[in-house]
Amino acid sequence: MRVLVLIVNRLLWFVPTLLGLLIITFTITHIIPSDPIAFIAGDNASAEQIAQLKEKFGIDKPIPVQLWNYIVGVAQGDFGKSLYTQRPIADDLVSRLPATLELTLVAVLLAAIIGIPLGVLAAVNRNSWIDHILRIFTVSGLAIAAFWLAILFQLLFAMEWGLTPLQGRVDGWGPDVVTGFFLIDSLIMGDWAVFWDVVHHMILPAITLAFPAMATVMRFTRAGVLDAINSNYVDYQQAMGVPRRVVIWRYVLRNALIGTVTQLGLIFGSLIANGVVVEAVFDWPGLGLYAVQSILQSDYNAIMGFTLVMGTIFIIANLLVDITHGLIDPREAR
Amino acid sequence: MGDELLKVTDLQVGFSTEGGLARVLDHVNFSIDTGEIVGLVGESGCGKTTLARSILGVLPKNSARIGSGEIRFQGRNLLAEDEATLATEVRGRQITFVPQDPFSSFNPVFTIGAQIEELMKWKSPAIEAGARVGRYSRTRRKEDRERVMELLRTVQLPDPAAILAKYPHEVSGGQRQRLMIAMALLPEPRLIIADEPTTALDVTIQAQILKLLRRLATDLGVSVLFTTHDLGTAYEICDRITVMYAGQEVESAPSDEFFAAPAHPYTVRLLQSLPSRDRGITGIPGSIPGLIAPPPGCRFHPRCDLATAECSATRPGITEVGANHLVRCYHPETTTEAAP
Amino acid sequence: MKTALFLLRKLASDRTAALGALLILMLVVAAIAAPVLSTHPGDVSEFHPPERLQGPSLEHFFGTDRMGSDIYSRILFGARITISIAVIAIGVSVLIGVPIGLIAGYYRNWVSDALMRVSDVFLAVPQIVLAIAIAQTLGPSIENVILALSVTYWPFWARLVYSETRSALNETYVEASIALGASPWRVMLLHVLPNISSSVIVRTTIGMGGTILTAATLGFLGLGPPAPTPEWGRMIAESREFLPEAWWYATAPGLAIFLVVMGFNLLGDGLRDILDPRTRRSVDG
Repeated sequence: MRVLVLIVNRLLWFVPTLLGLLIITFTITHIIPSDPIAFIAGDNASAEQIAQLKEKFGIDKPIPVQLWNYIVGVAQGDFGKSLYTQRPIADDLVSRLPATLELTLVAVLLAAIIGIPLGVLAAVNRNSWIDHILRIFTVSGLAIAAFWLAILFQLLFAMEWGLTPLQGRVDGWGPDVVTGFFLIDSLIMGDWAVFWDVVHHMILPAITLAFPAMATVMRFTRAGVLDAINSNYVDYQQAMGVPRRVVIWRYVLRNALIGTVTQLGLIFGSLIANGVVVEAVFDWPGLGLYAVQSILQSDYNAIMGFTLVMGTIFIIANLLVDITHGLIDPREAR
Repeated sequence: MGDELLKVTDLQVGFSTEGGLARVLDHVNFSIDTGEIVGLVGESGCGKTTLARSILGVLPKNSARIGSGEIRFQGRNLLAEDEATLATEVRGRQITFVPQDPFSSFNPVFTIGAQIEELMKWKSPAIEAGARVGRYSRTRRKEDRERVMELLRTVQLPDPAAILAKYPHEVSGGQRQRLMIAMALLPEPRLIIADEPTTALDVTIQAQILKLLRRLATDLGVSVLFTTHDLGTAYEICDRITVMYAGQEVESAPSDEFFAAPAHPYTVRLLQSLPSRDRGITGIPGSIPGLIAPPPGCRFHPRCDLATAECSATRPGITEVGANHLVRCYHPETTTEAAP
Repeated sequence: MKTALFLLRKLASDRTAALGALLILMLVVAAIAAPVLSTHPGDVSEFHPPERLQGPSLEHFFGTDRMGSDIYSRILFGARITISIAVIAIGVSVLIGVPIGLIAGYYRNWVSDALMRVSDVFLAVPQIVLAIAIAQTLGPSIENVILALSVTYWPFWARLVYSETRSALNETYVEASIALGASPWRVMLLHVLPNISSSVIVRTTIGMGGTILTAATLGFLGLGPPAPTPEWGRMIAESREFLPEAWWYATAPGLAIFLVVMGFNLLGDGLRDILDPRTRRSVDG
């Protein structure tokens, strides 16, 4: 019941936040009286042609009207047309979304699967050499530039040793699109060769993306486990002779993970931020690569669409984190 | 009284700190008879909690150093036994624990029922001695649940089934401590160690909880080691009181005798320091010594009016000044003038 | 003065924080003494095409780039860019964020609600996404990078100061001075601000690292200062078409970014341990 109130509460904030984001993005991209039309039309365009183009893109109207039109459009799923390809931006975004989601989810999984046990290990062996080595690992994870790490990985694993492909998501056309998640689609097709090819392509970008997230997961799991180990309830259970392994893996970890879950929002933020450059380096056909291409083409409409979609994903991710937290932590559901 | 259940002999425990080894227990002797409720009284830092935790065998591993001594419980020396045996056979089975803070001693993210069930899985009296606990069988689970419900009624908790479904933060402090007492009784132990069990509670609830603890222990014939810094509380529920000062036990006597005829100068001053109508509040001059370089001999001697050279040379042995009344002092007071 | 000495002594005794301070010191020295320390000071703008893409040697410690310029010298001069961007962007963010947080935290009316809602919207998107949008609109230049970072970073301080102010207002002595009729400004400047300064300092130190990373990312995406500015992120981007042969080209600037960001993170962690004992156990134990 209380969790329900929490969910409704957060959902109510969803729309105003998104609207605020839209206004901010719109203001940002329109604050400079830039002239994208001149760019599209080229140097030899006549005044008449330019006026036509302006009308076509709706740039002839006053800014508030443009904003209103944009809001109405977005509410109907219309993000306008790309200034460069003239394709509807919504279509581009939708077609690229699965690639980004697939990479991000795999990275989250990797970060959790590796980060949580290592965090417990560091906490249980606090101040030992294991802890120190793992600490170096977390500190570097948070200090390394994702694009640099991506390039180093390419340099070593793809270029020098040839263990993985350099770039891309799959060789050839890839599996038939059902979900857009190639790992799943290739399994649906039952095509193992394609599946392994997809896995192969995914290894480097996923690890690059997972690395800082893993550092965050480890850091918070370690802190959470330490807090729990030093708590009175663990002391009580040990005084009552409950076996230590039961106390650690059933109680301590559960408590520590609640703390880690609250940090998932932060982790998602880093994944989305780093995703842009990681996709650019690995030529991964997702939203990040789309954004980078739009930057090169000065495609304001596309950048605005990208910002909104990323913001929405991030807000939804945080919403899910809050709800999960509310569900697994009884104290939160007050 | 009856036969000796627990006997601590010559126990020496230190903690390594940044400043050096803190000698927290200095050759302490202590005992509890079967069915007896003993109060361990002293100011904070006197070592009473360390003694309680030594008996439970849960001193902090990386800092605690056990120098010498024996803790005999039903004839077996707990200090000589290995950790795993103690955890399965003694801790939580023969000796149970009521913690100081009933709020933080519950895990906040599990229901009370789940936590009691976990305890019963490992510590139910239905587990045969020496048996390995693997699966929690359905029949035993059912049996245990009935046991739990009955005991929750015994500790006067209303609607036990509803309480089991709640989370710790959803019940009151007094109820949490009743639950803790119930959990301490569930394994049907011989000894309960209650470490200042009521300091975190309201004064009005304290008395109820203490009376409950006393009644149940007497009814079930369980011994209780009860640590407190409050002499009044100790007097109300204990059969016998042992006083500690700066890591040394100084006097042990049956409650009535303790208040009527204290023999150790520290005890005398302690009783005098209780506020009373004709004297007002009087403190003991001086302060508690540091434990890293404590005074030699009797640690109370720097603050003691009666101290002589021998007091600072060697610690006095045990003198029996009355029936079951032991004191460690070269100059025990024999008059009753200090009685309140 | 006394507190500064106390801080210094504490920092010196904490090995990781001292390492962090050392790395930052190296950055500052590199920036100030770049003309002296560099072997080819002219190479910030001079090209020597015949010497392009040479590997590390005694003549060129970190090799040369596609224009034949000395990478070691360019990295030293790049430190100036990095420092200016980080210091100015963070400075502006703090100057905007802290007063907003203070005012929103002190007053409980619709203005403070509105201020916090606006910063929440900014915080609802990963910082870099907005920064990309801004930098893209304004065009690639060092000033625009600073602007993009400032606009997207201030809400972090506003949020932090807001919640710290709210809890500081619950302190008895602050309540007492309000009850005694102290003016809002007096309360904010004399009681609240000194109280929250340590968390602001910690946050600012760690924020420097984050800002440097974000700035380098913008540079890498081509949104930073234009060529031939020796901006580290841009240098890495340039190197990509010459890999794997010119491995030094990508390695050296990346290492510079890594060390500097690590320096701020380590120092920030150390400062938090010293200044803010509440969080000490929970994160670094």
